[in-house]
Amino acid sequence: MRVLIQLRPDPDLVTAVATPGMTATTADVAGELPGVDLDLGFTPVVVPRARPAAPDGDPLSLHQPLVFSMAAEEASVLVRGEIADDESTTRMAMLHTRHRDVVGVYADPVIETTLTCGGSPPVGSWQDVERLMAVRELLAEGCDGTGVALAVCDTGVNAAHVTRKIGRECVIDHERSWNPAGVEGRPGAFEVDHGTMCAFDALICAPRASVIDVPVLLSRRKGETVMDGLLSDAVAAFAHLRTVLDAQPEDRRALVVSNSWGSFSPLWDLPPGRPGNYSDNPAHPFNIIVGSLAQAGADILFAAGNCGAECRDARCAYPRRPIVGANSHPQALSIGGVDTNGRRVGYSSQGPGRLSDRKPDICAYTHFAGSEAFGDGKPDSGTSAACPVAAGLVAAVRTRWPASVLPPAQLRALLQRTAEDRSDVGYDYDYGYGITDPVALLAALERRASAFVH
Amino acid sequence: MVLITVHLPTGATLADARRELGLTEEEVDDAYGLVPLDPGQGLYALRVTEPAARRAAPPGGGPYSDPPIEPFGPPR
Repeated sequence: MRVLIQLRPDPDLVTAVATPGMTATTADVAGELPGVDLDLGFTPVVVPRARPAAPDGDPLSLHQPLVFSMAAEEASVLVRGEIADDESTTRMAMLHTRHRDVVGVYADPVIETTLTCGGSPPVGSWQDVERLMAVRELLAEGCDGTGVALAVCDTGVNAAHVTRKIGRECVIDHERSWNPAGVEGRPGAFEVDHGTMCAFDALICAPRASVIDVPVLLSRRKGETVMDGLLSDAVAAFAHLRTVLDAQPEDRRALVVSNSWGSFSPLWDLPPGRPGNYSDNPAHPFNIIVGSLAQAGADILFAAGNCGAECRDARCAYPRRPIVGANSHPQALSIGGVDTNGRRVGYSSQGPGRLSDRKPDICAYTHFAGSEAFGDGKPDSGTSAACPVAAGLVAAVRTRWPASVLPPAQLRALLQRTAEDRSDVGYDYDYGYGITDPVALLAALERRASAFVH
Repeated sequence: MVLITVHLPTGATLADARRELGLTEEEVDDAYGLVPLDPGQGLYALRVTEPAARRAAPPGGGPYSDPPIEPFGPPR
């Protein structure tokens, strides 16, 4: 069985283990332990000694105020290894009698993540998401997306597929849809792919929204590599969306922009601190245009990304703080992902963000059986699915509360304040402010409306 | 190619931008055009070759990176 062995070696060795930059190996700390196959690849770990905080405290109780000492004379060191399974209890008990430095032997059980990861089967269905997002209540309040423009900036939408899978018409706004230069294809008639999934997921909460199809990821502008679009295409797309917004009557502005994409790697960017950098630079043209469009009244949502610590996407190349660029923009909502059990999916990127610290903002549902855009039985997954689910909720709200009545910044604050907190500390970098809670959001909006009336 | 930004009067064209910045047709991505970033501020973006950007970008106007963007799902 696998075991953790606690040793109290010479204080100099404890210091060597505890000091960054110094290298003390398992072999240095434990030497040879009879009957133990040590894991020599494991880096030893220093464990502080717990002592009662009060001078007259019980030295054998942990149920009292404690102080922890990392002093070399008091701390101990953990290594790990394996002992034979036969008589394992006896062997564990006997080990400290055969080696003077051993002060404890403990089981080292296998721990398995129970988090949903890429490749996991679907967790629940889109009907579960419909229930969790209180769509019936939203519809009863007249929040169905009617008159709301919902831009899906992605790989293009196949409206026939969405209509077939969701069982109601997917309305494409042909007039206001837009292709980047060089991209052929008609709005709503693209190959079934990622963008079709996003449209499907957005329509769960806003069945009557008009989808503006913006296949920004289909661009193949000339560059040095084969790639899925360039950020400059997104700049042009947002400039087009600004004209859409400006053309709407000022008292009925309602444009929701869903973006399930981002940058996986710093390789193609300039380093942070350089004026031309994108990931950390509010002055980059795309970050400027995001702010400008939000200021004009658009609700902009970005997926937080799939670089969560537990099972990150293989393409993730930012060594830390993977929510970069506009995905962490202070005037956009950054959406993390939870499964239909309300648990963060292991690939959902964690904060802090780079342009603003408190990212993700909120979480929405993902990894459920939905559009089947990637094949029968394949889930709608990634924060790519969570983002349009949240965008659909925003579009539903906009049916009754246009940007003139409820500016995007105020709606963002309401979404944050009414989210179901998943921690005991308020905001946290895994869930943000929590999982979006449409019932609480509706109640807050109604209270706000009543306050205006009175 | 990279992005640069420039302040121009409202309604400016790509030709205006080229003239203002002293750029040749070959140095500019014609298909991309002149993109308004912030109409209120008269701020525009265009795509140009890297040498042209280094030579012609106005102060504070770049060059800015134009990284690839990819969909965030399904996780690989």
